[in-house]
Amino acid sequence: MPDHFAVPEPDEAVKLALRRVRETTAVGGGSDMEGLEFNEVVVNMGPQHPSTHGVLRLVVTLDGELVKDVIPVIGYLHRCKEKLAEKRTYYQYIPIVDRTEYLASMNCEWGYVMTVEKLMGIRPTRRAEFIRVIVGELMRIASHQVAVGTFVADLSPLGTAMVFYMFRDRELILDLLEEVSGARMMFNYLRFGGVRYDLPAGWVDKCRELMKRMPKLIDEYEALVDDNAIFLQRTQGKGVITQQDIVDYGITGPNARASGVPLDLRRTRPYSVYPELDFEVCTAAHGDVFDRYRVRMDEMRESVKIVEQCLDMLPRGRVQLGSLRAPYVITPPPGSCYVGQENPRGEYGTYIVSDGSRYPYRLKFRDPCFCNLQLFPKLLSGNKIADAVAISGSIDLVLGGIDR
Amino acid sequence: MSDMVPDRLKIGYPKLEKFQNPNVITTTADFVFSWARSNSVFPFTYGLACCAIEMLSSGFARFDVARYGMEVFRPTPRQCDLMIVAGTLNEKMAPVLKRLYDQMAEPKWVVSMGACATSGGPFYDGYNVVNGVDKVVPVDVYIPGCPPRPEALFQGLLELQGKIRQHSFAPVLPGAPEDAGS
Amino acid sequence: MTLEIGTVDLTMDEIAGRLAAAFPVELSAVSVQEPDTVVAHLERTRLKDVARRLKELPQLAYETLNWIAGVDLGAQLESVYHVYSWRTNTYLELHVTVPRAKAELDTVTDVWPAADWHEREAWDMMGIRYLGHPDLRRILLKDDFVGHPLRKDYVDLAENHPHA
Repeated sequence: MPDHFAVPEPDEAVKLALRRVRETTAVGGGSDMEGLEFNEVVVNMGPQHPSTHGVLRLVVTLDGELVKDVIPVIGYLHRCKEKLAEKRTYYQYIPIVDRTEYLASMNCEWGYVMTVEKLMGIRPTRRAEFIRVIVGELMRIASHQVAVGTFVADLSPLGTAMVFYMFRDRELILDLLEEVSGARMMFNYLRFGGVRYDLPAGWVDKCRELMKRMPKLIDEYEALVDDNAIFLQRTQGKGVITQQDIVDYGITGPNARASGVPLDLRRTRPYSVYPELDFEVCTAAHGDVFDRYRVRMDEMRESVKIVEQCLDMLPRGRVQLGSLRAPYVITPPPGSCYVGQENPRGEYGTYIVSDGSRYPYRLKFRDPCFCNLQLFPKLLSGNKIADAVAISGSIDLVLGGIDR
Repeated sequence: MSDMVPDRLKIGYPKLEKFQNPNVITTTADFVFSWARSNSVFPFTYGLACCAIEMLSSGFARFDVARYGMEVFRPTPRQCDLMIVAGTLNEKMAPVLKRLYDQMAEPKWVVSMGACATSGGPFYDGYNVVNGVDKVVPVDVYIPGCPPRPEALFQGLLELQGKIRQHSFAPVLPGAPEDAGS
Repeated sequence: MTLEIGTVDLTMDEIAGRLAAAFPVELSAVSVQEPDTVVAHLERTRLKDVARRLKELPQLAYETLNWIAGVDLGAQLESVYHVYSWRTNTYLELHVTVPRAKAELDTVTDVWPAADWHEREAWDMMGIRYLGHPDLRRILLKDDFVGHPLRKDYVDLAENHPHA
């Protein structure tokens, strides 16, 4: 028999789902109408699926269209990053951190570089701090564009124009970041004590011009979906994350802020020059899918404000401690340290244990999407499959971070 | 499965001696069909990791893959000709890749996009990483880069179009030259 | 109910002092790591009890678990718990060590539900077994993977690479 006709062996996750199905129908919870029996079906969504945003596998137990239980299976993109950290020097590891949450690379690098700087006891130069904030916030806008764009594209498969508008404008931001760092996606730009290159001539003006245009572009996106009755019906009231969930599961980022919790590490655990900047923490009241969309759109506007302030306040000076060529190999003193920063998806940080050598002894990522994904069984159960897709799109997962 | 069909229902094909060796009819047919095939490739969205985002970007407005006829990205392998493997393959995902490749119908091509799919990339010494997609499926075009720019992806796809145009319909007979057929 | 952040105003030294006073026997080496983390070492047999009481402390309630990391220290394996207190807006980093030969710890999933997947990952990567965990199986690696990769003595096995 050819390979593709063979039914694969059920693996652990599917076996677990099948066990649970047998448990409920055994109690007689299936029969609803006289003489009719209802069966629950175990269906596999993924790991290759257009709506799971990466190689996420959901083993879904369905009763008709209703989702009874979800078992997320991850690890299809596990790239051994934490073990690789023990074989690369601190400097060599920066490009690998880039590829953790590949939609928000600058912020991921920042989370790693801040921890190493704290271990070493050094602080970056002031100009470099402002540049980091600027590129970090530009990356936040670009990341939200992809997140909201793909979420809306999921609701009707690529049928809305919104994702095309968002990707068009994301290219404008990536152009700016490419001028600064040399790459479109994996920048390898932040260094211990500063950034790699200074801003090129004319970059500040181009950035200012784009930030002047940005609010109008965001208006364009909102004009496409905000008043759409179908969008509102599909998103309002669905997938509510309660505040108890946030406390229990450690949900951070826009998912927590949409439930009314003002948890923003730029304000609660300030780092870099954020204390000097004037911006608001965007929250919403209900915590449903629409509120998560709303919070991300508001955050894009706040990021524009932050970038404009930083461009005005940008001081002169060097962008790296010491000469531009050193140090390539650093040996932080023995100790351990964790620093978290506000990634577009939540609290992203690295816990590094150093033994004084040139390689980290242990490096652990605290990834926001890993913690957010734990909520899936609770969040998706009781909804129809179509709502499940909308809810999972609104949680904004990036498998690179979940699997590391 | 063809042994389940009774003999009276089997269709007998006439012997086509005229078409066993390449001649002007087969080469013209080849030219027309391969040209049509190369300009309307249906890619399979097999984006695993970061390269998938560059693949997405190349599908949207600025780097428009529709000008090469490849904008119909289908999520199911049964409707696709081309599998663009974009991202790192690891041991857990490899059986899935093989299964999806098997589910594609002939003729099919595979493009390995990015350093990870070509040879393991920056993660080559991971305990869980497969060093290259070609350890699981046969690859036609390798596109280096981490991630390759959309322009690099297009160069690879244009190379692939050239390769598709060499596809021939002539049956491969024992003793026939090697390059007759896919 | 709106979750308030940072309603209680205590200095780091005061927090460390209160923790040391509340758990004189169980916590050792309580120190402050600027700007907002208290680091302490915890005895492994008291883990569940201390976890429950930490969550219910009057002003310092450590209600959220941020992450759990497994660290290989040679003769011992260490499980690091990073917990967050909303009222004081500070963190507590608990280090619990277990001997390598018998790497078992009590689970804290009934205290902090977020521990579910973090403990599974620590089991998967480091091999620390959490007793009482509802579903302790591999999370990131395939089910038939042999060994715990983040241990320092892990050797790349051929059976883990069928597609090499």
